[in-house]
Amino acid sequence: MHTPSGHSISWHSVDHALDACIKCNICTSYCPVSAVTDRFPGPKYAGPQAQRFRKPDQLLVPDDSVDFCSGCRVCNEVCPTGVPIAEMNARARAQIAAYRGIPLRNRLLGRNELLGRVGSVMPAVANFALHNPLSRLLADKVLGIAREAPLPRWSESGTLGDWLRRRARASFGKPRPAADPAKRVVYFHGCATQYYEPFVGKAAIAVLEHHGYEVIVPPQNCCGLPLLSNGEFGAAAGYHRRNVATLAGFARAGIPIVGTSTSCTLTLKEEAPELLDMHEEAALTLAQGVWDFFEWLRVLHEAGELRTDFRSLPMTLPYHAPCQQRAHRVGKPALEILGLIPGLRVVESRARCCGIAGTYGYKTEKYRIAMDVGEELFAFVRNVACDQMGDVRYTACDSETCRWQLEHGTQLPSRHPVEILAAAYGLYNLQERKLT
Amino acid sequence: MLDLLVIGAGLAGLTAALGAASAGRSVRVIAKGLGAPLWSAGTLDLLGYLPDHTPVRSPVEGISRLPAEHPLRQVGGVSAARAVRELAATLSAAGLAYGGHAQDENLYLPSAVGSARPVYAAPVAQLGGRLDDPAPMLITGFTGLRDFFPHLIAENLQRQGHAARAVLLPLSLLTDRHDANAVHLAQALEAPSRRQALAAALAEVVAPGERIGLPALLGVEPHAAVWSDIQAAVGAPVFEIPLLPPSVPGMRLVHTLRSRLADLGVRVELNMEAVAFGASGGQIEWVATATSARPLRHRARAVLLATGGILGGGFTCGPSGALREVVFDLPLTTPETRDRWFAPSFLDPAGHAVFRSGVRVNADWQPCDASGNALYTNLWAAGNLLAHADAIRTRSHEGLAVATAAAAISAYLAHAATFGRLPVAA
Repeated sequence: MHTPSGHSISWHSVDHALDACIKCNICTSYCPVSAVTDRFPGPKYAGPQAQRFRKPDQLLVPDDSVDFCSGCRVCNEVCPTGVPIAEMNARARAQIAAYRGIPLRNRLLGRNELLGRVGSVMPAVANFALHNPLSRLLADKVLGIAREAPLPRWSESGTLGDWLRRRARASFGKPRPAADPAKRVVYFHGCATQYYEPFVGKAAIAVLEHHGYEVIVPPQNCCGLPLLSNGEFGAAAGYHRRNVATLAGFARAGIPIVGTSTSCTLTLKEEAPELLDMHEEAALTLAQGVWDFFEWLRVLHEAGELRTDFRSLPMTLPYHAPCQQRAHRVGKPALEILGLIPGLRVVESRARCCGIAGTYGYKTEKYRIAMDVGEELFAFVRNVACDQMGDVRYTACDSETCRWQLEHGTQLPSRHPVEILAAAYGLYNLQERKLT
Repeated sequence: MLDLLVIGAGLAGLTAALGAASAGRSVRVIAKGLGAPLWSAGTLDLLGYLPDHTPVRSPVEGISRLPAEHPLRQVGGVSAARAVRELAATLSAAGLAYGGHAQDENLYLPSAVGSARPVYAAPVAQLGGRLDDPAPMLITGFTGLRDFFPHLIAENLQRQGHAARAVLLPLSLLTDRHDANAVHLAQALEAPSRRQALAAALAEVVAPGERIGLPALLGVEPHAAVWSDIQAAVGAPVFEIPLLPPSVPGMRLVHTLRSRLADLGVRVELNMEAVAFGASGGQIEWVATATSARPLRHRARAVLLATGGILGGGFTCGPSGALREVVFDLPLTTPETRDRWFAPSFLDPAGHAVFRSGVRVNADWQPCDASGNALYTNLWAAGNLLAHADAIRTRSHEGLAVATAAAAISAYLAHAATFGRLPVAA
């Protein structure tokens, strides 16, 4: 089985897991998507059951309903026997893409990096061109990108790369304190931080430098996740190969690679090697060297090296650990670290999913489903805000698309936990999203 | 550092965590996924049958007739019943009312095929189906609802001498979906309009003096309100009959326990599969779980293993055919050769040897060798992974979990009290 770009879909690990499904229906009972729509029958049916009828060389295309799986992985989380259902569904979507081709809309949504780069040439123009009612109506009717969906805005004050170059020029020729070679860290920013939210990257770099680390930001590509979730495995493999080529050396040298976009770090660690069957030494070395930002901070904290020179942040903060963060299976380290900040009361969301699931909620036919899925989370935020009477000014979440969805669903501004942390160190203005 | 790491989020793990946290210990629960309670009827069965399948009237008395090595016998009938009653009280105080245990004898409730099911304590919404109540039953099903056939249930109940008849109502009363599982239907009934529509339909079909048996779909979270609203609107007693998994009463039980644990500051982390451990000087130092990259080490002064048996996932069987305990590779009491796992007859009245195999523990509920010496000084075990119980056959699944968890936690707390907090491994 090959995708249009010639990448072969590996079913090996799926076939192996198939027999572990005992058909207990726990996944279907907790699936946030099948709870709100008939169009997705549930993980058990679309995953392990339908998989019995999918063979690498068959001519039948997987049932369309699998395209309504949002890939949130709640099924994987609750499965008592450890079946990787979401990955099964991702492969089935790639199989559909291989037979039917990929719609222009999905090709566009999969190319976050390209969109980011193109829009960043003239971000103000791009923002006007995209974010006006007429374009959104056209995009809805012609492309199938939902008119109301919370699409991001290109940064009009330059990309993270622009800022890093300005910083490098400004410090050129100035004497720099000799860096401790053991205190070097690579920052993986991902496309959203590069093109839409450079301030998240600035906050992350400020926090790392606050701990005396030299922050290396090497050239990097999209992690490939938007392509993987839209079934474009071949193009995703290209991105992953390039990331392995540029980043594995750092991992080999023992320099940790930390990322603030929890879906990117998950893809580099596990999703790309697993779905693309890329298990060569360099890819595995990279996977082992990547850390989600707060996962790594927790290691610092456990070693007694996390700085605690916090200023008080008196507020109540509803925090949602997004599906992609939970899929790391490392607990919720952001809760532990933010819990150290005096005055800050973090309230943990137990909602399953915000609904957006990467590019899922942008699609016209899925927008309503995404909003219905997210209602559980929006209601949680509303309840916390109501209990606290005005003390809730932000929500926090580790994934960018989830933050945009949270803002869309709650009307409250949302922040990455690293922005909260940077603010607590006095490095960052939380309201203006600027370094101080 | 944590005081206690509990591995397993089934009934044994959750109640053990509750016991330790209530005693002031810091506790975390890790588990591979959601466990066996979601496959259960939500009742608390203590001992329905002796191993030779003799029905048990009083579980306390029945437990004294179990083989000496049986874990419930080791707990003792009185203590085992007390542990179940305490859990029922905890659940009731948290808003999920349980009853039936006041009489201290088994009562019989109808199953989803109309057989008589012995239970010790049950959610109050199920108690209306007690088979010692002579009131006639109207078993009500819904067209197209899989796994619940009211005519089959009523016919089986009649054969056993109970007055029962059946009626089918349209599924569209509950949902507009083409396909819905029990949990979706239960959530649909949380909408007041659905409750009213169902109550109106029930009021039309019920005869005076009848009690109405419905599939267990009366809400997940606001269950008590859904149940009482419908009952009040119909003007007749309404009771639930549990369905095949996914079990809504089991889900309510798990959610109630987890919310109690959250109040006590106990985290329950799912999707954390134990893959390695480290020990030295006879102590467990850490347990590692799989993550998206490198294993994550959990350190705690003590560990309680409650991963369940073959059903719960505490044991696995590799291609070689040997049964293994999955976390610590503890020795199991499995018959040495596979040909001795099973009796020749599928329905052998004595059951099959393999289902009685498990982890052997000493008098302090610590996994031990053949002479009773603890294998690790800071490891305890509870629940359906224990040897010598055949909980499904004897209808003691929940009782075994709850009673041995309470006993193991008492032993752990006594140990910690005697020696102070267990020393931190270097």
